Amino acid sequence: MNATINIGDKLPEMIIGPFEADDLMRYAEISGDQNPLHLDEALAKTIGFSAPPVHGMKVLAAFDAMLRRWRQDYEIIGLSGKFVQPLLRGERATLSGRVLRASEKEVFLRLFAHGPSRLPAIIGEATLRPKSLDAT
Amino acid sequence: MPTDPPIVFGPLRVHVDPVRAKAYARETGGDGQTVPLAYPAVWLTDPTLATLLNDLCAAQAAIPVHESQSFHYDQPLHHGENYDIHIEIRREETPPRLIIEATVLNMHKTQVAKIDAMLRLVPRAGLGAAV
Repeated sequence: MNATINIGDKLPEMIIGPFEADDLMRYAEISGDQNPLHLDEALAKTIGFSAPPVHGMKVLAAFDAMLRRWRQDYEIIGLSGKFVQPLLRGERATLSGRVLRASEKEVFLRLFAHGPSRLPAIIGEATLRPKSLDAT
Repeated sequence: MPTDPPIVFGPLRVHVDPVRAKAYARETGGDGQTVPLAYPAVWLTDPTLATLLNDLCAAQAAIPVHESQSFHYDQPLHHGENYDIHIEIRREETPPRLIIEATVLNMHKTQVAKIDAMLRLVPRAGLGAAV
């Protein structure tokens, strides 16, 4: 029997990165997001970054894996994120999450991705639904 | 505040390429058993849509900065399946933004997902000649 999810429950934190130039190049090729800002160090410096920023979607998408590992008896029906502060090439991010609402039908979580900066890289949300509801 | 009438784009026929979806999953920490929630982001880089967005940004003398992104699913995506995406693009003035709203339908014309992206339009002026 799976444990009940309660308001305030915290997900196990997950550390991702550091992402290097090869990682960003590979993500760009697979995703189709070829924005040179993520790949060109000189361009990133011109705009004021000390290194190219990691694609925000690469970081947001990592919550998918984190959530699936947390509860395999739930399916993720919503994932969203606001890109607050860029995570830069060579930096790690810590993904965390906390349950804000929980019922028998739905669980709503607040998500954070924190890099080395004071501000989070991403403030996100996820909505999960028990897989058992699909069988009814 | 909306300024212009929304631009309606599509339907755009897309496909969950299993090889690409599994590669996307690997790059984002997934196991590739299921289609990543964020996989539709690859569809939003379609060259026709990208050209349209680039033209909209150029008209505003701005570069787009990805401000937020959301995925809401009625049903999961499946490897190997085709889908149609209907896209609506709105421009907001204050602050300057492009809002992209995409609705994903399966081949039975049933809604599968809604995807929203918000792009902040940052004026090119002051960014130098690099962009």
